[in-house]
Amino acid sequence: MGTRRPRILAALAAVSLAAACSPGDDGGDGGATGYPEQNITIVVPFSAGGPTDTVTRMIADPMAAALGGKIVVQNVEGAGGTVAAGQVARAEPDGYTVLMHHIGMSTAPALYKDLGYQPLEDFATIGLVTEVPMTVVARPGFPPATLADLTAYVKANQDKVTLANAGRGAASHLCGLLFQSAAGVELQEVPYQGTGPALTDLVGGQVDVMCDQTTNTSGQITAGKIKAYAVTTPERVASLPDVPTTTEAGMPQLQVSVWHGLYVPAGTPPEIVQKLSGALQKALADQAVIDQMAELGTAPVTAADATPEAHRAQLEEQIQTWGKVIADAGVQAS
Amino acid sequence: MELFDNLVLGFSTALLLQNVLYCFVGVLLGTAVGVLPGIGPTATVAMLLPITFAFEPVTALIMLAGIYYGAQYGGSTTAILINLPGESSAAVTALDGHEMARQGRAGPALAAAAIGSFVAGTVATVVLAVAAPPLAAVALAFGPADYFALVLFGLVVSISLARGSPLKALAMVALGILLGTVGQDIYTGTPRFVLGQRELYGGIDFVSVAVGMFGIAEILRNLENEHDRPALLGRVTHLWPTREDRRRIVGPILRGTGLGAALGVLPGGGHVLSSFTSYAVEKRISKRRDEFGHGAIEGVAGPESANNAAAQTSFIPLLTLGLPAHPVMALMVGAFIVHGITPGPNVINDEPELVWGLIASMWIGNVLLVLLNLPLIGMWVRLLRIPYQVLFPMIVLFAVIGTYSLGFNAYDVYAIAFFGLLGYVLIKCGCEPAPLLLGFVLGPLLEENLRRALIISRGDPTVFLTRPISAGLLLLTATALIVVALPAIRRRRETVFTEDD
Amino acid sequence: MQRRRSLPDVLAGGVFAVIGGVFVVGSLGYDRGTPLRMGPGYFPLLVGAIVAVLGLAILVKGLLAGSDLPFEAVPWRAVVLVTVAVVFFGVFVRVLGFVPTSFVTALLTAFASRRVRPLTALAVAAGLTMAATLVFIVGLQLRLPLWGW
Repeated sequence: MGTRRPRILAALAAVSLAAACSPGDDGGDGGATGYPEQNITIVVPFSAGGPTDTVTRMIADPMAAALGGKIVVQNVEGAGGTVAAGQVARAEPDGYTVLMHHIGMSTAPALYKDLGYQPLEDFATIGLVTEVPMTVVARPGFPPATLADLTAYVKANQDKVTLANAGRGAASHLCGLLFQSAAGVELQEVPYQGTGPALTDLVGGQVDVMCDQTTNTSGQITAGKIKAYAVTTPERVASLPDVPTTTEAGMPQLQVSVWHGLYVPAGTPPEIVQKLSGALQKALADQAVIDQMAELGTAPVTAADATPEAHRAQLEEQIQTWGKVIADAGVQAS
Repeated sequence: MELFDNLVLGFSTALLLQNVLYCFVGVLLGTAVGVLPGIGPTATVAMLLPITFAFEPVTALIMLAGIYYGAQYGGSTTAILINLPGESSAAVTALDGHEMARQGRAGPALAAAAIGSFVAGTVATVVLAVAAPPLAAVALAFGPADYFALVLFGLVVSISLARGSPLKALAMVALGILLGTVGQDIYTGTPRFVLGQRELYGGIDFVSVAVGMFGIAEILRNLENEHDRPALLGRVTHLWPTREDRRRIVGPILRGTGLGAALGVLPGGGHVLSSFTSYAVEKRISKRRDEFGHGAIEGVAGPESANNAAAQTSFIPLLTLGLPAHPVMALMVGAFIVHGITPGPNVINDEPELVWGLIASMWIGNVLLVLLNLPLIGMWVRLLRIPYQVLFPMIVLFAVIGTYSLGFNAYDVYAIAFFGLLGYVLIKCGCEPAPLLLGFVLGPLLEENLRRALIISRGDPTVFLTRPISAGLLLLTATALIVVALPAIRRRRETVFTEDD
Repeated sequence: MQRRRSLPDVLAGGVFAVIGGVFVVGSLGYDRGTPLRMGPGYFPLLVGAIVAVLGLAILVKGLLAGSDLPFEAVPWRAVVLVTVAVVFFGVFVRVLGFVPTSFVTALLTAFASRRVRPLTALAVAAGLTMAATLVFIVGLQLRLPLWGW
């Protein structure tokens, strides 16, 4: 539909530029034969410029090339990503609306009541994209020298130490919860509106400790503007070779990474899911993408993890884990 | 001399043909999106980011920066012409700028904005080159208590934005702060006043408030007596500033530049605070205080200079510390990463060409903006000759689409209708919209920093008095309040500010 | 000072008092905390009360010594049509698509003027829809369905 009507309108306005020359944007038939026949939208649930947005924009073009179509990235912010997830859950399951989401997909059921969607039932998984390591960092001049010192210090000064995070449900908030439970302490949490201001106050010495993604912290760490105690992954991070892992530093319980994955609404034809998954695997093997991710202190997941099955298993496992951590911490956003 | 070498390096980079070209593309696009209500620089930069992946890093950043300050510029054009501030800082420009346009002096208003922006841009480029590291240290020294004091000071000063009753202006500021509390509380995650709608968790968008309070309300006011005003503009007296105008704008431009350059360094509310602090200062020290709000050219030149200077110095935290002060800067951090540069304090040493090239390009961008906009003034003014029956549906339609495109959130559109009606009623009753808008922008910062300061101090309220920056600012705030409240002074105010229409 | 009632002052004061009051009542449902450890309800309660008090002050002043403001007739047709036009866009843009929704919004708005002729309004709406499509969909690549389905 829609190719004749613009012409009528154009004639009415006596202007020859018909709207038909704009990107075709009709409903689509939902079949996989010619997919993609129109622009695919990847919805990013966070603000433009954030780590999730950056990762999405990195893979969008190589994925589009693999699919032989065009991909548009759209930022729909709000309520820890649940607005975007709810929107995509209700979208047509035709493969033209795709959601990029991170670890927050698995924590939302525990953090929000009346979510309006079920992560496992309302979405089909396409594949994991990347797992961004996190770092335990502190303001310059903070006394402890190692992670063990830090644990002892925060235990002795529970009522004095402040722990910054980028807001409820943010990766830094979740990692902070895990750190507190691993160290057996309850610190004074100081939420910020996003990572930028939180990091500014950490560099400026207004707050003491934070746990955030390498994406945000590695530049400040290598420049010596903040102290790094550990990375939260099993392996050291290439861009931070001197920072030990939490296991090496004696806190193996603190294992967390900000995993990202792609979703489509449940009911999307399996052929389309496979096509998207294949395109994702191709994009993740692209050398430019690997290089760009390395700059962020992260790497694409293996081809085996960029599959619907591996992604779904990860999602199920994480919903369990975080459900418990969040319930223990007694946190609920609404 | 190191500075000289750095500038030579910068200009030799920025003057490369492709860099000048993309700088031009950037400021052109920025001006265009700034003129369109709703669509702002953040959305544009986000959209164009992937295109720049193919560029040299310095070229990409030059273009993205051009979009940012170009949009600041374009935003003031619509504020002056159709009373529709696209960016929060342009709300102040609308006060006297639009009044001038109604008096047929849109040309001088636009020229004053252009010249002020250019001077401010030039000075700010030098400030950026000379004083970036010490200024960055100042930004880091600002803790939550200091921010609270600064914002409080700004809010008290903002009462002077209104020409009507100070009581109403105060109520508007407070109402703005109150409406700013809608959305999820960042400390506890509790959704406040969201009426059960998840779309409201992120709060009300500034653009909706500005478009409603300024755009829609103004249209409804104009439709009250259509017979008097067939087109928005009956006559155009001068296109260019008169000699008297030129004499009057020198002081405001210089003071605005200084204020803007200093406040722009602060992340968050810096550039908003700068434009209206400049307005307040000009109004206080002017001999023609009664002209403010009725088309005083100082009220355009000062804030516009402040706003543009702040737009440039707001790059200081990004370039020297790797910390973004504005969503557009956050996107530029993304651009750094994509080009294999780790954002952080090392960038200025590791990539001198990039940093100095970017700084030099800002001056070139300002030259391009002036070259682009001065000849366009005639065209912009002719835009006002569009019959009002065409112009106002255009404003409404473009504003609605632009606002919707920000987050594809229908509630942003409903908010326009709400604020349009609220603004219409309140303006009709002698309340001015600008203080409400500033309360709305600064209110969340006020609450956030108040609570954060108290959390960090463990509930010790003396933190506001023991920190020197905070104590100094609170002292200034108290002084400002006394000046507003002292009955003797108020009586004089009333004689100066009573509406004469 | 001479006693004079002022409708604009009373109305403005009333609006402030009502909105402030609504927020005060609303914020009672949230945890208040203490002055030094504020909960989500503390700040809105405080500011809501300030707005309400200021509103009452303006109202009382309006009854005793109001300011003398001209109060012109409300253009009800414009108020209703513009509001409906804006809300219409929000409700229907996803359902009907960009082009029809823009057209209706522009048309409703154009009719807000009492002096417009129907044909002019149609032409304005059609022209603006074209322009908006070119600027936002073609130029800015806005991702919205052009036509509903």
